[in-house]
Amino acid sequence: MSPPALQLRALAKTYGERTAVAGIDLDVAPGEILGLLGPNGAGKTTTISMACGVVTPTRGEVMIGGLSLARDPYGAKRRLGLVPQELALYEELSARANLAYFGALYGMSAAAIATRGDWVLGVVGLADRDREPVKRYSGGMKRRLNLACGLLHEPALLVLDEPTVGVDPQSRNHIFETVRALRTAGMTIVYTTHYMEEVEALCDRVAIMDAGRLIALGTVRELIAQHAGRGLAIEITGDVAAAEVAAAAHADVRREGATLHATPHAGLGALVSAIEATGATITRIESRQATLEAAFLALTGHALRDDDAPAPPTSKAATP
Amino acid sequence: MIAAAIWKDMQLLLRDRGTLISLFALPIVFIVAFGAMFSGGGTSPDVPRPIAIWHPTPSPAGEVVERALAATPGFTPQPLASADAVRAAVAAGTVDAGLVIAADVDPAHGHPVELAIDLAAPIQVRAPLTGALTAVVTRALGAPVGAELVYLEARQPPGIRKPLPDISGFQITVPGNAVLFGFYIALTVAMSFAGERRTGTWRRLLAAPVPRWKVMLATLVPYYVIGLIQLTFLFGLGASLFGMRVAGSIPALVVLSMCVVLCAVCLGLLFASLGGTEKQLGSVGSVCLLVMGLLGGCMVPRLLMPDTMRSIGHIVPHSWALDGYYDLLVREGTGFSDIAPSLGALAGFAALFALIGLRRFRFET
Ligand SMILES: Nc1ncnc2c1ncn2[C@@H]1O[C@H](COP(=O)(O)OP(=O)(O)OP(=O)(O)O)[C@@H](O)[C@H]1O
Ligand SMILES: [Mg+2]
Repeated sequence: MSPPALQLRALAKTYGERTAVAGIDLDVAPGEILGLLGPNGAGKTTTISMACGVVTPTRGEVMIGGLSLARDPYGAKRRLGLVPQELALYEELSARANLAYFGALYGMSAAAIATRGDWVLGVVGLADRDREPVKRYSGGMKRRLNLACGLLHEPALLVLDEPTVGVDPQSRNHIFETVRALRTAGMTIVYTTHYMEEVEALCDRVAIMDAGRLIALGTVRELIAQHAGRGLAIEITGDVAAAEVAAAAHADVRREGATLHATPHAGLGALVSAIEATGATITRIESRQATLEAAFLALTGHALRDDDAPAPPTSKAATP
Repeated sequence: MIAAAIWKDMQLLLRDRGTLISLFALPIVFIVAFGAMFSGGGTSPDVPRPIAIWHPTPSPAGEVVERALAATPGFTPQPLASADAVRAAVAAGTVDAGLVIAADVDPAHGHPVELAIDLAAPIQVRAPLTGALTAVVTRALGAPVGAELVYLEARQPPGIRKPLPDISGFQITVPGNAVLFGFYIALTVAMSFAGERRTGTWRRLLAAPVPRWKVMLATLVPYYVIGLIQLTFLFGLGASLFGMRVAGSIPALVVLSMCVVLCAVCLGLLFASLGGTEKQLGSVGSVCLLVMGLLGGCMVPRLLMPDTMRSIGHIVPHSWALDGYYDLLVREGTGFSDIAPSLGALAGFAALFALIGLRRFRFET
């Protein structure tokens, strides 16, 4: 059996007092797309930077295709392609000139850079604009070139750090399709994002990070089944704190403003009666679709993005 | 890979109008502007100076001149043991000029007083001194009115090399500005590091299967090459357009220039290791380089500065570079041995900058 495409063992990074990554164990199987999901500052970039040899870990080990990054850095790095979170491009240069330089870093010959460049520019749909300075590209085109630069040397493992930030829907779809096509061709992909939809649409498995820790790992289906049970959102007017205490006897409850997020232990009736017994009025009850968002909420106790509303309602129950 | 880096940075440079202007166009403007200034009349720095003097004893003429010199404000006679001692003192630079009054001195019959002075010194330094001393000697020896006698004849003492005949201001302003703007490569180097970090290309470099020392060289070497091109361009232009001439050895000039660029690139590494943003580097760095250039005599030759400023100049590599260029451009027959102190100092500065830079530089931030 081939070794995992990527193995992280007790990988940790501290910056002075601050712990960016607090010890992560993770295996990425060959040929899978693994989503690395987490809010801002969760430690995603730090984790993959350590996995790529960009940041030296404080503790722990990285193996790429069975090669230790510490002991055989060049062998390990050759198998790996990194697409940084930033647009890591020379904006004054053309796509071709960028590829030429990054290809040279991997010891590619000029001929190989040219033929592989044709392929990779075709894949990301930039073949017809390849001689233009990158600064004239749209945001989405730059993102696609950013991806192309990480692909040029045919890595077995491709690490993407938020590859769709700030792109138009068209470029985003293009990137999705590229990633799927690469997986079909046998490439292993680690896909970092803070968009749930991307993970649900693309990834075979999800690793959820929060505050430097890996808090859940599994397929999207597994995570939803385990963590996003039959959730209810109960909107209340009156003494919400008292209602929460009362509800806690009948459900797992978490309060968010005037809303109680509850997973009842038994029937809905006992829960509703207990809340109403405190004198509070239930203005609305929503049952939530079991989404990754809900699983994330249940796991971390907060939304993935600050601007996110809690998961979208799917069915509205009339007030009793 | 380094070749690819050079190629990449060349392309980047050709598209970066700001840097192109500051490295190649601005120095030309300065060379022309300062060149015009220096070809005009000289200034007269009227500072009190010791003047070496020798005459046989007894020597009525000698004693008269010595007394006259002592009576002249701004000069103090410094009697030495022999004519050669006077010449040697001038050659060593301990005094700016010396007077040798031989036993048979008789300006009226073709035996003038000898003025020992470095004829290669800038006219701005030499002219007022020669003029003042001529006046002192002439008055002391009592010139008949209207007589066109040579009382004083300037000669190059042995031990310092003879200058090229008719030196133009460009002999000074071309190297001055080549050094001033040559050191701006340091800023370009530091900004390039900061830019790679800002855009994230630095991450790509670190993720590539390339040792980190090579990543660093790939950022430094291209600018070393660009710096050499810059100096070649400026000296080439100086020679072809402004009539700048090289009095000494061309290979020595090439080696000196290589040391200057090396020193500048190492200074760039030092700047980069301080870890500022491009904006901070742009403002702090350029002021820093300007002050260094000023102290080092790039704008105003150090020979025109008071003694304390002249010595202070030695704390910057610019002064050593210019001393070397001055010898090679102005004095005939100068070679490696004449500019050895400059080469040594520049190499020392380069090593110091590189050492501090490497110790402080962080690949990860
Ligand atoms: N060089 C550094 N020095 C100090 N702290 C750092 C450094 N890099 C990251 N951190 C801290 O480590 C934590 C994790 O940062 P990281 O960039 O890995 O998060 P992230 O999950 O990628 O977030 P985002 O979604 O915003 O990209 C943050 O608190 C961050 O401030
Ligand atoms: Mg990040």
